[in-house]
Amino acid sequence: MKAFNALFKNELKLSLRDMNIPVFGVAFPIIVAVIIGLVSGNKPAFEGANYSFIDQSFGAFAAIGICATGLMGMPLLVADYRHKKILKRYMVTPVSPALLLFVQFLINLIMTVISLVLIFVICSVFWDYRMTGNPGWFLLSYLLVILSIYSIGMMLASVAPDMKTANLLCTLIYFPMLFFSGATIPYEIMPKGAQMAMDVLPLTQGIKLLKGTSLGLPIDNLIISIIILVSISLVCTILSIRFFRWE
Amino acid sequence: MGKPLVVRGLQKSYSDVKVVDGLDLEVDQGEIFGLLGHNGAGKTTSIECILGVRKHDAGSVELLGMNPVAERKRLFERVGVQFQQTNYHDKIRVSEICEVTESLYKAPADWRELLKSFGLSGMEKRTVSELSGGERQRLSVMLALIPKPEFVFLDELTTGLDSKARRNVWKYLERLKSGGLTVFLTSHYMDEVEALCDRISILKKGQIVITGTVEELISQSPHDNLEEAYLWYSGEEENE
Repeated sequence: MKAFNALFKNELKLSLRDMNIPVFGVAFPIIVAVIIGLVSGNKPAFEGANYSFIDQSFGAFAAIGICATGLMGMPLLVADYRHKKILKRYMVTPVSPALLLFVQFLINLIMTVISLVLIFVICSVFWDYRMTGNPGWFLLSYLLVILSIYSIGMMLASVAPDMKTANLLCTLIYFPMLFFSGATIPYEIMPKGAQMAMDVLPLTQGIKLLKGTSLGLPIDNLIISIIILVSISLVCTILSIRFFRWE
Repeated sequence: MGKPLVVRGLQKSYSDVKVVDGLDLEVDQGEIFGLLGHNGAGKTTSIECILGVRKHDAGSVELLGMNPVAERKRLFERVGVQFQQTNYHDKIRVSEICEVTESLYKAPADWRELLKSFGLSGMEKRTVSELSGGERQRLSVMLALIPKPEFVFLDELTTGLDSKARRNVWKYLERLKSGGLTVFLTSHYMDEVEALCDRISILKKGQIVITGTVEELISQSPHDNLEEAYLWYSGEEENE
């Protein structure tokens, strides 16, 4: 517990000092939400829809923070610690690798949640955002999307042999996910063919789930998304632990 | 109780090159043991294999009666390590790295006292990257002592230190030694080795060429001082 407290406090301070995660994980999703809000206001999502464009996009905004922290922030930090041999130094202490990873997970999680809360407040105040779905279901889906995206990130961090590869892998996965999963460019405005291609990305499934639960759509349409996300979380977590290296 | 460190037939190759070639050594309780050799002789790789940081190809290591890989957590509660090149988190402060290190152990030493002993008090608020090379080196030795170890590994402990700082580090180690600490060090400074080490081994191309006290090493060589004897054993003279 003592080790957890000290590591958590220290890593949190460092992440605030470094500003990478606060900028990309917290501020960036808010900026996207504000832009979409300014452009679409509280217009209905489509002709005759009983929810607004903002209502529909809220789930996507939530996913941007998850993506930035899970696919860039966390894996790059772990790869950097390995590259700098900071992990090697921890290896000759009694600390467990699981604790080190858990601390990073928690810090990124907190940043993402801060971003989500701010987006919720901003959208509610300026564009009358109301969550029509059950908040409990939304939070559960939010947690599931976090687990699956973070596990992909941790797997990248474990698999990448050096900093360069880690950078490349994260960029290769982060940007397509950001632009082609509906996180920034709304899924709904894409042509049908493109939507089918987008469905391959795990985050597309995550955003479907977040949108569905926040709008209160029937859950049976989301079962496939749930199954995909749970499988990704399991497989990637196992792989990231299996391939974890101190050095 | 057996010897705190027993290494038998340790081997390690990188691709085809044998870096450690059948290393055998024993370190006695409470002694300061020095592993000497040129750059590339295999000192650091030997230490890393002993600590389990690197997988060895063959041989066995018993440190404080434990297997460093299988019993990592229990072992490093009692063993301190200073690696040759230590990097730290970006922008981390001296006090922060000390607090984090302290938090990892059940019964750590008081790091403020240690900072004082290593001439680093007053630098708590500085970031590690702002420290001079010598200050950073002292910090990394000092961090290895935070666990209140029974056994400490110091890889090039005083590289980059001025004479006064080196003597302070020696004095401090002597004091810990009289309290029962066992030390395994590497160094390129023969005055340091003479001042500190009870026994030394000289490593050449991954093999130990001789082990003994400073006096024994000198008397078994054609020379009358350690520097010359060391060069003779480690084969430097062939190049001249």
